[in-house]
Amino acid sequence: MALSGDRDRQMAREGNTAARSGKMVALGSAATWLPYVYGVALILAATLLGQGLLPFIQPSSNLVVLYLVPVVVSALYWGAGPSIITSVLSILAYRLLFVPQRLPLSLVDDYIMFLTVLIVGLVVSTLATRARDQAALARRAADQTAALYALSRDLAAAGDLDTIARAVVARISQTFACDAAVLLPRGDSLVAQAGTFEMTGDTEEAAALWALRHAQSAGWGSTVHHGAQALYLPLTTGHKVMGVLAIRRAGNDMWREDQRYLLDVFASQAAMAIERAQLAEDARQAYILEATRKMQTALLNSISHDLRTPLASITGSLTSLLDNEVRLDEGTRHDLIETARQQAERLNHLVGNLLDMTRLEAGAMQPVREPCDIQDLIGAALAQLGDRVKERQIAVDLPDDLPMVAMDFVLMTQVLVNLLDNALKYSAPQTIVDISAHLTDTSVQIDVADRGIGIPDDDLPHVFDRFYRVRHAGRVDGSGLGLSLSKGIVELHGGRLTGAHRPGGGTIFSIELPLTPTTPRLPEGQV
Amino acid sequence: MSTPSPRVLVVDDEQAIRHFLRVSLSSHGYDVHEATTAQEALAAVRADRPDVIILDLGLPDGDGIEVTRRLREWSQIPIIILSVREREADKIAALDAGADDYLTKPFGVGELLARVRVALRHAAPSPGQSAFVTGDLRVDLEHRLVSVGGREVQLTPTEYDLLRVLILHAGKVLTHRQLLRLVWGAPYEAETHLLRVNISNLRRRIEPDPTRPRYILTEPGVGYRLCDNPKL
Repeated sequence: MALSGDRDRQMAREGNTAARSGKMVALGSAATWLPYVYGVALILAATLLGQGLLPFIQPSSNLVVLYLVPVVVSALYWGAGPSIITSVLSILAYRLLFVPQRLPLSLVDDYIMFLTVLIVGLVVSTLATRARDQAALARRAADQTAALYALSRDLAAAGDLDTIARAVVARISQTFACDAAVLLPRGDSLVAQAGTFEMTGDTEEAAALWALRHAQSAGWGSTVHHGAQALYLPLTTGHKVMGVLAIRRAGNDMWREDQRYLLDVFASQAAMAIERAQLAEDARQAYILEATRKMQTALLNSISHDLRTPLASITGSLTSLLDNEVRLDEGTRHDLIETARQQAERLNHLVGNLLDMTRLEAGAMQPVREPCDIQDLIGAALAQLGDRVKERQIAVDLPDDLPMVAMDFVLMTQVLVNLLDNALKYSAPQTIVDISAHLTDTSVQIDVADRGIGIPDDDLPHVFDRFYRVRHAGRVDGSGLGLSLSKGIVELHGGRLTGAHRPGGGTIFSIELPLTPTTPRLPEGQV
Repeated sequence: MSTPSPRVLVVDDEQAIRHFLRVSLSSHGYDVHEATTAQEALAAVRADRPDVIILDLGLPDGDGIEVTRRLREWSQIPIIILSVREREADKIAALDAGADDYLTKPFGVGELLARVRVALRHAAPSPGQSAFVTGDLRVDLEHRLVSVGGREVQLTPTEYDLLRVLILHAGKVLTHRQLLRLVWGAPYEAETHLLRVNISNLRRRIEPDPTRPRYILTEPGVGYRLCDNPKL
């Protein structure tokens, strides 16, 4: 089936070509005999003029000059063939109509005149043809230079592979009136980066790959894989094949030598542009890789510091207790045990935050949003902080008409715990930490405010960055993960977490959560 | 000291955890038995007849939740889950499977001992006392009277039912689903907002400071627990 189909298509193509070339022959003959008709017409005109002038011009042999006009005109515009025929017909007309002694052509004058006219015709036609050819060449060269210039201008402006490929395809299809595509290697195959036609079929692919691997042209009109419909030119930069340029011409006319030359120049321009873009891309990747590596190193340093510090305290406390040579009094023993316990708690908190951060970044944290009581939320957060809030004064100010707000209770509790933890850590023990909430038309805002040391202006934009810690905070324990994690969680809820200076000193963090239309408000006591 | 020491079965594949549990539980007068796998645990429950089981979820030959389910087919021995799994879904699954309590590793021994005492108390036949007292809260279950600090408090029928169910399971965490089923009935199991609104209203009536509840404690994402010995 496939074979016969192929053959059918092949025959159809051959038929087409035959029909088209037949038409070309017909047209060509029309074009070739027309100049002879014009020549004869000119001779007729010269003869009529000569007849008209005969009474006034003596001797009549001077009238032969009139016949130079058709000969020169034929030679000038239509080439050698028409000029020879015109010459012969002109002399015959002159001799028959204007010379009294008619036939035969025996006089020496006759032959000299004949030869002179013929030579004039041939010389003029040769010169004219050469001039025409040179003009055509010059025009073609100008066109090609312009096309090349346009391409290099496009390529200079193009920054990335995609733009380069599209510019190359556009310029080539415009300059050569053909289909074009730029194919770039990806893995073991070639992928079209841009093109005006689709390369389909094994034959095409084989030809394209051959061109890529051998850095030589393949496909239609070349010596390799000439069964392919398109011509495949390697995009080489001298030492490297960057890709393949595919070109397909409607009707598959042969490429002229100068066109092939220009195509090669286009291909090498395109190749250089592609190489430049790839080098730039490689450099950018290398830069990103380096930046990522540096960040990871910083991250690992930070994590390892934060994990080791509490472990060091725990190990130190426990080994002191085990040390048989030192008699510790009861108070000291208790202190050491309490230190170990606190540091274990800190370690657990850090590991929890690290796990949550990983979950958040992996997209594995899915908030379960249910209507929640904000008072309950605050209560749960305070309960989680346990003993730490027992010694501190926390003022809670909530409006009575606060509705239930849709949120993931557990995750939001964690956010509040982190914010409270910060507020407690960075403020003096005798100061008050304020928690308040208020409603806007579309959201509920929960503020956690302290009268602590505040955050310097320079640090404020960075407090939500991972592992960022305010410089003067050196003495306070913390991993720099809590705020960044909290921001992530609030944003998962479609809300915002912001930090600001508190008027009168200290810091204020605000959670803003959107109120959804489904937020239910049940009257008190309803069952 | 005529009553025999309560027997505790510790099921955990971590030797270090078993060791420290044995040390601390023994020193508090418990008779400690150990198992390291799900199979051993099921066999030990039949052989040792423990009064309470402390069960890890990640066992080498199976899951603690499955062990809980199989035990509940024939036994009401209190089960306290001890696990590193901190996701609320895991806690709810364990509690709904029939576990009595859930403690996340790492934990303090004090906390564990409190949970063990609660579990043992619930397993014992109730002494038939009709009044529940904790802190300033006093609930007379026979006459449906609730007072805080000697002052009587009016509750709606639903609020009272909710409080009663919490009191009957005092010290134990009840999942949202369990509370909804016990107070409103099985068809309401998914209506968590009903529960939240009523808890909020109940707290306003019995808690001195509803923002820092002393009696009705929230287990975030899991449920509620009535605290039966509020620290002041």
